Amino acid sequence: MIILLLASLQDVTFGYGDVPCLEMANIEVHSGEFIAVTGQNGASKSTLLKLALQLLHPWQGKVNLSPTNVNGDKLAVAYVPQQIAAFNSGFPSQVTEFVRSGLYSQRLNWFRRLSPDAKQAADEAMKSMGVWELRNRRIGELSGGQKQRICIARALAMSPDLFVLDEPTTGMDKESRKDFYKLMREQIDQHGKTVVIVTHNLTELDGMLDRIISLERREEGGWKCCTTTSCSGHFSPAESLR
Amino acid sequence: MLHYDFMQRAFFAGGIIALIASALGVYLLLRRQALMADMLSHVSLAGVAAGTYLGINPSLAGFVVAVLGAIAVEYVRKAYKTYSELSVAIIMVGGLSLAVILMTMNKSVNKSFSSYLFGSVVAVNRTELMIMLAAALIGALFFFLLRRPLYMVSFDEESARTSGIPVQWISFGFSIVTGMIVAAAMPIVGVLLVSALIILPAALSVRISSSFTTAILISMGIGLTGTFTGLTASYELSTPPGGTIAFVLLLFLVAGLGLKKLFALGSKRSGRLVMRPETPVSRRHRAADNEHWSSS
Repeated sequence: MIILLLASLQDVTFGYGDVPCLEMANIEVHSGEFIAVTGQNGASKSTLLKLALQLLHPWQGKVNLSPTNVNGDKLAVAYVPQQIAAFNSGFPSQVTEFVRSGLYSQRLNWFRRLSPDAKQAADEAMKSMGVWELRNRRIGELSGGQKQRICIARALAMSPDLFVLDEPTTGMDKESRKDFYKLMREQIDQHGKTVVIVTHNLTELDGMLDRIISLERREEGGWKCCTTTSCSGHFSPAESLR
Repeated sequence: MLHYDFMQRAFFAGGIIALIASALGVYLLLRRQALMADMLSHVSLAGVAAGTYLGINPSLAGFVVAVLGAIAVEYVRKAYKTYSELSVAIIMVGGLSLAVILMTMNKSVNKSFSSYLFGSVVAVNRTELMIMLAAALIGALFFFLLRRPLYMVSFDEESARTSGIPVQWISFGFSIVTGMIVAAAMPIVGVLLVSALIILPAALSVRISSSFTTAILISMGIGLTGTFTGLTASYELSTPPGGTIAFVLLLFLVAGLGLKKLFALGSKRSGRLVMRPETPVSRRHRAADNEHWSSS
């Protein structure tokens, strides 16, 4: 199995305004890993994800995001943010339309229409997230948990190489959370995907994770640094780095 | 009424601009840039004044300056990410102050000043008609080819960027198309009311549509009907066409929202609200939502 370094942060420092919130962060994300990012509220977990995805630019240090996947094709990334403002602004869209939008960057034909295969992928994703029955509803009418589910369904429909999920299980019941974690593990084991997830429920992920990245407060100041814990389980990044 | 050449031209010009401006309005509204049309129309006034001062066709100069203003707003928006509406205020002040200075320097501008402020669709000339046609064609092509990426960018720029959509280029292109359409719409309703033609149809359609595509089509329908009704009313009542079109669109909005409310009330009273049957999955989801919201 070929393992690729998909994303890395080297000695990254970042802050908002003049106040640094993340200092000297060093992180590596390899293909085929299931990584949890954890830390207290305000510990810059979402900021860390945005830096890794190059949505934010660091003050110092280097951020690399691989342009290709293990097969040499363009790296496909699905990002599920913690909150999307448009959900609350009466955005006129149906669930099906929203889930299919995940495929708009990759699977459009010359007439800018989705192929039947792409539509089927979106349908499958809706079914696997239990939102099939909501497919004709307007997205603004959905509850918080349902909105999270359709966001995950959109990510699944994309069939990306890398899932980046910021607290995706907010509003889900325990059983749905377990099903969701199992689904993510299957994506890694059966389809070679990579998952980075921000979560507070580490106990529910017991036995599924490869690594945990914790954001902790530094003793000398209010800044945070990252520590990585390898979990007993699935993968050792040192074995065959390309 | 339609046997007059000037009325035929007015209906033709009003129709094409109503269709494209109403489609643009939906995107502007969803990108929370509803005031951009108003700002660009004021900025293009500086172009009109500069064109007259320098002896260039004022409509063409206004068109170019509106496009430049739209590009400038995109850059200023990046500098004030948190307060993106500030970019609109800054560019509008810049454009309007320049327009006032240039107009006082050249007295001949003041003579036709009211036609730029309030529009004169029945006096649309050949150059303006060509500008309108070109803007409508480019705009239609842009919105058709990029309708799906534009949906993603309007919904959430960050998710769009990570999924590989070239957000920066699309936003840049969108700004240029916005500037073009605003400048082309100016002769219809004028600087002061151009945002009515762009925003009012969209404001109603996003409230009554269930999907994104429907919202755009309904907005275009409202824009076209409102413009034609406004032009007819203006002819019959001898009122200014720009103001009449804007007023008709406002009436459509008020009536549409009122009807929507009445319909919802009526459905509630007659008990015609269709309850969706609950399945084990939806029951579990509802329980989880209740649990989440009661704990938070």
